[in-house]
Amino acid sequence: MDSAPPAPPILHLTMITGTPLRDGDGAPLGKVNDLIVRLGDVGYPPITGYLVTVARRSSFLPVERVAHMGTDGVTLDKAKLDLRPFHRRPGEVLLRRDVLDRQLINVDGARLVRANEIELAHVTGEWRVVGVDTGARGGLRRLLPRVLGRRIQTGGFLDWASVEPFVGHVPTVRLSVSHPKLAKLHPAQIADLVEAASHSEGEEIIRALGEGDDRELEADVYEELDDQHQVEFIEDRSDAEVARVLTHMEADDAADLLAEFDDERREAMLALLPARERTKIRSLLGYDAAEAGGLMSPDFILLSAELTADDALREIRRSDLPHELLGAVFVYGEDGEVDAGVPTVELIRCAPQATLGSLVEHDLPRLAPDAPFEEVARLMADFNLTAAPVVLDGRMVGAITVDDVLEAMLPKGWRRRFGLLGED
Amino acid sequence: MPVRVPPPIRRVRAGLRGRPRLPARLSPRRSRLFLLLGLLGPGLIAANAGNEAGGIATYSQVGAKYGYGLLWMMVIITLSLAVVQMLAARMGVVTGKGLAELIREEYGLRWSVFATTSVVVANVGICISDFVGVSAALGLAGVPTQVTAPLAGLGVWLIIVRGSYKSAERVFIWFTIPFFAYPIAAILAHPHWGAVGHSIIAPHIHTNSQYLLLFIATAGTTITPYMQLYLQSAIVERGTRVEELGHEQADAVSGAIFANVIASFIIIATGATLFTHGVHSIHSAADAARALRPVAGRYAEVLFGVGLFGASLLACAILPIATSYVVAESLGYEKGIGRGRSEAPVFVSMITGMIGVAMIVAMIPGIPVISLLVAVQVVNGVLLPINLFFIWRLAHSEEVMGPRRTGPALNGVAGVTVLFTSMLSVLLVGATVFGFV
Repeated sequence: MDSAPPAPPILHLTMITGTPLRDGDGAPLGKVNDLIVRLGDVGYPPITGYLVTVARRSSFLPVERVAHMGTDGVTLDKAKLDLRPFHRRPGEVLLRRDVLDRQLINVDGARLVRANEIELAHVTGEWRVVGVDTGARGGLRRLLPRVLGRRIQTGGFLDWASVEPFVGHVPTVRLSVSHPKLAKLHPAQIADLVEAASHSEGEEIIRALGEGDDRELEADVYEELDDQHQVEFIEDRSDAEVARVLTHMEADDAADLLAEFDDERREAMLALLPARERTKIRSLLGYDAAEAGGLMSPDFILLSAELTADDALREIRRSDLPHELLGAVFVYGEDGEVDAGVPTVELIRCAPQATLGSLVEHDLPRLAPDAPFEEVARLMADFNLTAAPVVLDGRMVGAITVDDVLEAMLPKGWRRRFGLLGED
Repeated sequence: MPVRVPPPIRRVRAGLRGRPRLPARLSPRRSRLFLLLGLLGPGLIAANAGNEAGGIATYSQVGAKYGYGLLWMMVIITLSLAVVQMLAARMGVVTGKGLAELIREEYGLRWSVFATTSVVVANVGICISDFVGVSAALGLAGVPTQVTAPLAGLGVWLIIVRGSYKSAERVFIWFTIPFFAYPIAAILAHPHWGAVGHSIIAPHIHTNSQYLLLFIATAGTTITPYMQLYLQSAIVERGTRVEELGHEQADAVSGAIFANVIASFIIIATGATLFTHGVHSIHSAADAARALRPVAGRYAEVLFGVGLFGASLLACAILPIATSYVVAESLGYEKGIGRGRSEAPVFVSMITGMIGVAMIVAMIPGIPVISLLVAVQVVNGVLLPINLFFIWRLAHSEEVMGPRRTGPALNGVAGVTVLFTSMLSVLLVGATVFGFV
């Protein structure tokens, strides 16, 4: 062999592992077992070394000592080889052992995929992982003898930019959410992934969220998880950690989650919450889920009838409540009793100086916290409401929004995405 | 503050008013009944699916040929099955991954593709024999195969593809009710219970080749690879938490015991009737039912028919599921009972295709079920030792199971079981292919 063939644009990992390791003169020294990459940097992870077998001993070969890599093997830059045992450095993973054949998060499709092949390319002066093959071809290549296999082109290529591997089984690496890839997903998508993954993989995602500094995101993901998974992932965590998540959750979702625990644990968690949150959640816990009190959210905007539409809009802008709770502001009259809600659209449409009192068209029948669900649904349908106030002893205690009613009214089979006989 | 209404009353009230039933926020999560019902799960289903048409034929053969003479070995086989199933359940709970998935992650694509291919081949074969079994059971009542097979196929398909995992599991548990036909048949056959007890504790071993062959064939039909594959994947789909590990293992063990007690009753029933009347040659489960009629009366035929029907129908459902789980897991496709075609195309097509193929082949008149089962036996016999070896190693692996890997004692027991079962398996393959023993 006098000259090396021109390097092909993409190399397949399994076409390199198992090939011979040669010294600078081309004499075989041993075998290439695995490739080591460093994760964590932005961009395509670079190859930092090789795991090779020389004289039946497994050793580490740093990438600086390699002159050539190809399907014909790995060649050293010198004739000499100093062998060191392999120790993982932080962030390093073995491609074949830790990534190939395992689950990965496809961030673009928000689903779990399996790497049938790992694709390498020479980018900006280094060999890097550029993507994985999740298609059938990648798998077929590995099943066929090498001579036939190398003719098979890449099938379902997935760029590394849209891939996040699970690395929980690797002691030195942790999945991190500060990594922009996971944070790109919607909380509901992250929740779907957690539900689809095995427990330890789900745990890995949840832990990554916990270590990131986006508390809201973590709480949002918990809100989107189904009951079973909520409990599954929250059970093992300390009360303080749970309390931290709960404070960032919507009060009614937090109440639903707390209801899953026994009295002792629930009280312990409640005790760690800020007083305001605690009172809200505790009052929600007392209501039946099939009644107005169980459907309502304790967060709303309540204003005096004397104020103007402009004031109300300013109030809405200032509020950090989620938008579904801001579909209407509620108005109380001189007697302090709640009159009705004024839809936000109405506030925009009217003259800025109009008083809220003048915008209330008619008094609504009062909803008590123990009003049955049918009454709530009927009232909201009859009066075309997107939000209805719940009143206890003349004091407004919560607002029911249309999305809560809609959720409760979903027929059994519809809640799950699939199945006629499906249940919750 | 509103008065809290006790949940049962609320439920009744809700029912009367036609209100959507919403779970109360503060309802007790689990009742004792639920815990008890938790014992009836995938473990029971997996092991009982093994009492399908081929199994019943083998057990009937054992009873007809040697009376109670081989009952003692059911004890050994039960122990082995219980250990193996327990390990599979344990891995399912702890890792949240199917066996095929773990094999691929730890031992590479080639092994998992090898296992998958053998599972597909063997399971299609068993599935055909079970559609034949369902048809034969109703055939005893005069219903033609051309009616039974399509109906059974459609029914099973609907349960799997249109239901959810929970609803399917519930239906499968109902499928185990017909198994009670066998104990009843055994009791009505008036066996000499003293002799039955004696042959269980005091093994009398013959050394003729027929006896040995029947022994290993029985072991082969009782411990089949799809049981572990189904059990582990079903537990994953159930989403069992580690705290419920004990339950799931209890389910696996009790399921194995229940299945083999039923199998023993088949041996007792045929031993008390066919053996004592000198009917020694039985070729299929329906054969056994027919042969029972002149010696034990019409009721025996009906009971055997009912048992065969339920057992085969259960297997007709479990085999396509187990196969599709394995294919989806090892090749990395979406899976899940009740998923639609758009969500898990490979999984659903696999189930549909397998039911369709098995159903159509079963309708071919004069299909050689016996030779089919022999071929299946060989494939399963090759696969089982490999499967068991992986289960044994994976369950003990620190990397896979973490602190819940099997301890030295259980690992030792598992090792012996795997070795023993694999040996029988290899013997069976040798006997079928090369005709030795």
